[in-house]
Amino acid sequence: MKPTLIFLLASLIGSGLLSPSFAQEILIQNAQIVTGDFSGQADPLDLLIKDGQITGIGSGLEAGPEAQVIDAQGKPVTSGFFNADTQLGLREVSAVAPTVDSYTENEAITASLKVSDAVNPHSTLFAFNRSLGVTHTLVQPSNGVGLFAGTAAIIKLVDDAIVVEQAAMNVSLGEQGSALAGGSRAAAMGLLREAIEDARDYAKNRADFNRGSRRSYRMSRHDLEALVPVVQRRLPLLVRVERASEILKVLEFAQQQKVTLILSGVSEGWRVAAQIAKAEVPVILDPINNLPVSYETLGARLDNAALLNEAGVTLMFTGMGWQNTHNAHLVRQSAGNAVANGLPYAVAIKALTENPAKILGIPDFGSIKIGAKTSLVVWSGDPLEVTSQPEAVVVDGQLQSLVSRSTRLRDRYYDSIRAQQAADLAEQ
Amino acid sequence: MTHFSRLLLVLVCALTLSACVTPSSEPAPSQASTDIAFSSTYQAPQTIPTLIQNATVLTGLGDQLSNTDLLIEEGKIKAIGSALTAPKEAVVIDADGRWLTPGLIDVHSHMGVYPSPAIDSLADGNEIVGPNTAEVWAEHSVWPQDPNFEKALAGGVTTVQILPGSANLFGGRGVILKNVPSITMMGMKFPGAPHSLKMACGENPKRVYGEKGGPYTRMGNIAGYRDAWIKAKAYKKKWDAYKNGKSTDKPDQNLRLDTLMGVLNGEIRIHNHCYRADEMANMIELSKEFGYQITAFHHAVEAYKIAPILAENNVCAVVWADWWGFKQEAFDMVRENAALVELAGACAIIHSDDDTQIQRLNQEVAKVWAAANRMGMSLSKGQAITWLTSNAAESIGLQDQIGALKVGMNADVVLWSADPFSVYSKADQVWIDGALRFDRSWKRAERTSDFNLGIISAEGDRP
Repeated sequence: MKPTLIFLLASLIGSGLLSPSFAQEILIQNAQIVTGDFSGQADPLDLLIKDGQITGIGSGLEAGPEAQVIDAQGKPVTSGFFNADTQLGLREVSAVAPTVDSYTENEAITASLKVSDAVNPHSTLFAFNRSLGVTHTLVQPSNGVGLFAGTAAIIKLVDDAIVVEQAAMNVSLGEQGSALAGGSRAAAMGLLREAIEDARDYAKNRADFNRGSRRSYRMSRHDLEALVPVVQRRLPLLVRVERASEILKVLEFAQQQKVTLILSGVSEGWRVAAQIAKAEVPVILDPINNLPVSYETLGARLDNAALLNEAGVTLMFTGMGWQNTHNAHLVRQSAGNAVANGLPYAVAIKALTENPAKILGIPDFGSIKIGAKTSLVVWSGDPLEVTSQPEAVVVDGQLQSLVSRSTRLRDRYYDSIRAQQAADLAEQ
Repeated sequence: MTHFSRLLLVLVCALTLSACVTPSSEPAPSQASTDIAFSSTYQAPQTIPTLIQNATVLTGLGDQLSNTDLLIEEGKIKAIGSALTAPKEAVVIDADGRWLTPGLIDVHSHMGVYPSPAIDSLADGNEIVGPNTAEVWAEHSVWPQDPNFEKALAGGVTTVQILPGSANLFGGRGVILKNVPSITMMGMKFPGAPHSLKMACGENPKRVYGEKGGPYTRMGNIAGYRDAWIKAKAYKKKWDAYKNGKSTDKPDQNLRLDTLMGVLNGEIRIHNHCYRADEMANMIELSKEFGYQITAFHHAVEAYKIAPILAENNVCAVVWADWWGFKQEAFDMVRENAALVELAGACAIIHSDDDTQIQRLNQEVAKVWAAANRMGMSLSKGQAITWLTSNAAESIGLQDQIGALKVGMNADVVLWSADPFSVYSKADQVWIDGALRFDRSWKRAERTSDFNLGIISAEGDRP
């Protein structure tokens, strides 16, 4: 950050135009801390959060007189959960096109589409999902007309949403990629190869290209520019792919082209789990998918996550099902079902917290340790259990409201039904 | 089969329709056609008695019983209580620590009509050719080899109502199936179960037909329903006159009007896709105008807003636990919807409308139960499970046979590995009419779909 910008921010905070985000002191007492190392039982500990940072973990911690104190009464505390594939902030009502910014049908922009340009942190989906325990997400574009959908962003579900503007380059292979490429998987792979090779050529010959003395490319200058960090291994290529044979093809491609890969979908991942593990490629999957909804997901099964983990593949989760945006919080139901189908509990927690932090490079997210600026959730019970709910949510060192548009509607009609019943009783 | 011979077959069928469906004057054709063609061939297998001991039982009628035994004999629930004795040939299961519920009922499924794989060749759920296709029957589209059926069974679902889609004002007739393996649809069909009529409000019909001659608006939707009911009343009048001997003119049979007349005669139940509170209220007005009963509003995302009106008019709300936001009429979702409907004294039901959700309907109920209690209600698990059992059974007219664990009912039973209100709980065993149809220890289905054989590897079945 440039000094002038720091100065500008400081003066904005001073003027009250921006609220200082790390001003609260919060003491969470008697929390069962559940992390990716969780072994089933842990003695309750206190957590002290100051200026947005965990400054103390221990017994009998004391806080200042202004601190907000939450007695967790032995209930679990986790990092806020991460849903690795949503369109939060890009989609208010899916069938109302003006509220949807997740894709374009304009051929002039493919790889250079940045979803971070469109994320709306005032979406009703933010408060709703945050109050239910998801605090961070990878917002992914979907494909309109290009094989490349654009770049995904990491956001947190608060007004100051953007954490990483460009976290991955999205490309679809599989049935969708095939359709976008004119009806053949081979064509999609060919276009992908051409794009990566052209981006590499362009990166080496920018000056010549701009003088008009380099050959032309199929993609626009902006789209090629967007792919340069991919060929320089500064940005992972996030590939949607389901079928086992195609997964192998993508692994081979990434190795040949020397690009960093994240796989997404991977319904048949278990069939080639050893190869994915060997390539050290992490995957994003929804553990709930077990149906042969297409010919490329014939091998879908509920223990896909468990089998991938056994083979040594690093997991990140999305879900649940196609409700992964409006109900992004249900990623923990998908995770709970992965555990019900053989995935070790701690691995599921890791997939929702530490893994995305590590793989996607999210500063201060996912681990509960001194100095971390992670988000935190106090749960009413087992965080992977469908009947548990958040009792407190902390993001950026601030306790978050648990009110959403949905709870406002609920309370209005709960009150009116009870009022009518009271009136009926009085009449009798 | 060549393209030409297939065409010929279609023509032959079309020309000889009268030979397939014999019209009958007594009773009315809406009933007669179900009695004669396409009737159920399902027969409960002979089974030996089963005694399940020491279970925690959710009866499906609102109660939770601990340390309870359940005896199944001849396909029925023979006894329920403590320290039951079984005939000596009986299978005895120790269910200590495990839970029993009635077989789950999903009153909104498209299995078989929108099967996996979801390819155009198999998409047979929506006759999108005009806003009124009351003449089509979902059962004629059901593909019994849909590999989703057995996945739903593994989730404890024993009975399903298969509905046509929601593109049309009148989508066609729904059918009740037992979730058993069968080569024919008739082999799954629930004997004697009434048909339903799928109707749809709101955005879908106007979206689909807005540019194709209408309806273009919600007022166009209502005009479309009224026009159809006026014709149905006239048709019914002619048949009634003929049946009563007041007229000797036998009316020409009309498949579309047969279905609507079946509703007016109280033989066919209305299951109405409808999201918005104000539209549900309008549909109730419409039913009063033409003298029929709406059984249930499906999806009903805004049911909580008119729960007292639903109670007063005896209409069920069939809802998801938490789906929302996919279209404008699904924007006002509250996670306590089903519970608020229950609180107001109306009939609440949880449905899937989805082949993934149908595998875990117990979890869907558990989410609503937890949210409702957090809101301040004191809702028991026993009450909440009625949303998948007795309430669901009542909405499809089968409350005397399924949806409850009580003496004399069909032995449709699920033995859960643990409290079914937990994400970790699984169906260990599932019985339909006393026959064990699913056992988790089998590792594979009783008779897996033909589709699954040799399709991912020649030697193995699809997992």
